[in-house]
Amino acid sequence: MNAAIEIQHLYKTYSRGQWFGGGHETPVLKDVSLVLPANRVLGLVGESGCGKSTLCKVLLGIEKPTSGTVLVENQNVAKISKTQFKNLRRVMQVVYQDPYSSLDPRMTVRQLLSEPLDIHGLYPQKTARTKFLKELLSAVGLAPNYLERYPHEFSGGQRQRISIARALTLDPKILIADEPVSALDVSVQAQILNLLRDISRARKLAMLFVTHDFAVARFLCDDIAVMYQGRIVEKAPAQELFTHPLHPYTRMLLAAVPQVGKKMRGASTPAAACGPNTEGACSFASRCPQAGSACRQTQLQEITPQHWCACSHLPEGENK
Amino acid sequence: MVVSPVLQVCDLQVSFMMQKRAYPVLRELSYNLLPGRILAVVGESGSGKTVHALSLLGLLPPAAHVSRGKILYRDTDLLTMPRARLRDVRGSKISMIFQDPSASLNPVLTVGEQLIETLRAHKPMSKQQAREEAVRLLEKVGIADAPARLSAYPFEFSGGMCQRVMIAMALALSPDILIADEPTTALDVTIQAQILHLIRELQQKEKMAVIFITHNLALASEIADEVLVLYGGLCMEQAPAKDLFEDPHHPYTKGLLASLVSMDRRVERLPAIAGQPPMAGEITKGCPFASRCPQAQEKCRQQLPPLTQQGIRMVRCFEEKTL
Repeated sequence: MNAAIEIQHLYKTYSRGQWFGGGHETPVLKDVSLVLPANRVLGLVGESGCGKSTLCKVLLGIEKPTSGTVLVENQNVAKISKTQFKNLRRVMQVVYQDPYSSLDPRMTVRQLLSEPLDIHGLYPQKTARTKFLKELLSAVGLAPNYLERYPHEFSGGQRQRISIARALTLDPKILIADEPVSALDVSVQAQILNLLRDISRARKLAMLFVTHDFAVARFLCDDIAVMYQGRIVEKAPAQELFTHPLHPYTRMLLAAVPQVGKKMRGASTPAAACGPNTEGACSFASRCPQAGSACRQTQLQEITPQHWCACSHLPEGENK
Repeated sequence: MVVSPVLQVCDLQVSFMMQKRAYPVLRELSYNLLPGRILAVVGESGSGKTVHALSLLGLLPPAAHVSRGKILYRDTDLLTMPRARLRDVRGSKISMIFQDPSASLNPVLTVGEQLIETLRAHKPMSKQQAREEAVRLLEKVGIADAPARLSAYPFEFSGGMCQRVMIAMALALSPDILIADEPTTALDVTIQAQILHLIRELQQKEKMAVIFITHNLALASEIADEVLVLYGGLCMEQAPAKDLFEDPHHPYTKGLLASLVSMDRRVERLPAIAGQPPMAGEITKGCPFASRCPQAQEKCRQQLPPLTQQGIRMVRCFEEKTL
């Protein structure tokens, strides 16, 4: 299988506070290995602060990895020159969470969509460009005559469509979508999810879909990786993960997703981490209903074909 | 036995003044809140759900005002009540928790100081008594090592813990009514589940009535006894939670429920509602949902359908009557 993105043993540590007293190091990504195959949608699910946005930043070259390699289309993001990276950006584009802050309010839709084309010198001829931009707008479900309008004239859902159109201007092969629907109204979320699915299929995109919402991931993703405190704790094809979740954290997350028709369960989920973890222990140990605080299993193991889990406390009947 | 409601909202209308014109953002809202019940008010942004909550406590921003209607708390109208009396009611009888817990706590005071301040503002008690009471409250909302945590500042707490502190403050004077405005939106799902449990547990223990405001239908389904669906500033449907989710009547409620992603099976396409929700204060002649409604007729665009009783529920739609 052809890999669009391949991440091997990626570590990222933020350092700060060098001025007064000693420095402070925060490890954000720990030994992350992931493959995004071409033409598939990989969901990265985790709670706030687990490192999912940092992973996106490393992929996009906004942050440098501390160690490990990130290969996008077989090129090492940290090693290539600026020109090479610029070319790589034609292949890989991003859609952000908040369509209110990710579009420059002083630019018209035409200017917003033209910027990437200018940078890469595409469609220099005016009529050809206008034709292309209009086609692009219809592709994301907006009227072609919206080109001369400003972002404030649009609602949240329409703005997110503009963001998606902008990401598609260079006809990329990889789309990184960082929580693209979480800022939208419920009745509009479904529209954007349908649009993302249609586009990823029609254009044969590989998509890294970052979300905290399992329900959304369920709809859109072919594969799912669950992240907790900077580590991938479980990864599997989506269908497999939802029918046989293995890691205690995945099961806790799934149980916490509110659903229509599900009345509140009796026992509440255990409170969040109360104490520091033992050095080298699994970072989930202090919240884990099964492990002791010194549980050291952190390496991903292939439990069943393609189903990887970083825990030895598997549910009944799921042994290797 | 007939239980009298703790709160009666009658024909409430809230308007914003912009350039000397009044834009109603909430219209014709009426409901009764019974003691010990949880009412979920569900709506998208701009539907008027937060404005409704703020109007109950007289906390509307200066540009907005209640332009019609009554809000009766145990038969006294909160809208005509003198400010000093209202201040008494607010906090001790009706209290509120907000969406972003870290923004609603004062960052330069310790959690203990804020709790003690709340207690002493409403009840004559010594500092020592208030301190003991504060410890008791923190324990009640599940904060471990409460005496030591009193001297902690909000930034030392996580979002979920801050929300617990907010709940402790809201419950400090055993109110009759708790208004929770999107209390878990800023929190992670596992923490959200804990906070919901806490609210439910305390509500049952204290026999409080809760108005739970949310945009999340699934949350409403899990926590509420009764659900009120707002759209474009109007109540579209109101029913006991079970009936509403099992058999929604209004096309908007139906559409919303259908467009939710199911966790049980993978679907090929989501049945999305086309179009965009109206902006706050955008008034159409007919039904605000008409432009997105699959069943809309000419009549719906010309005339606002009245809210009518259909069995145990209230629905605002012309269509349903014929069914």
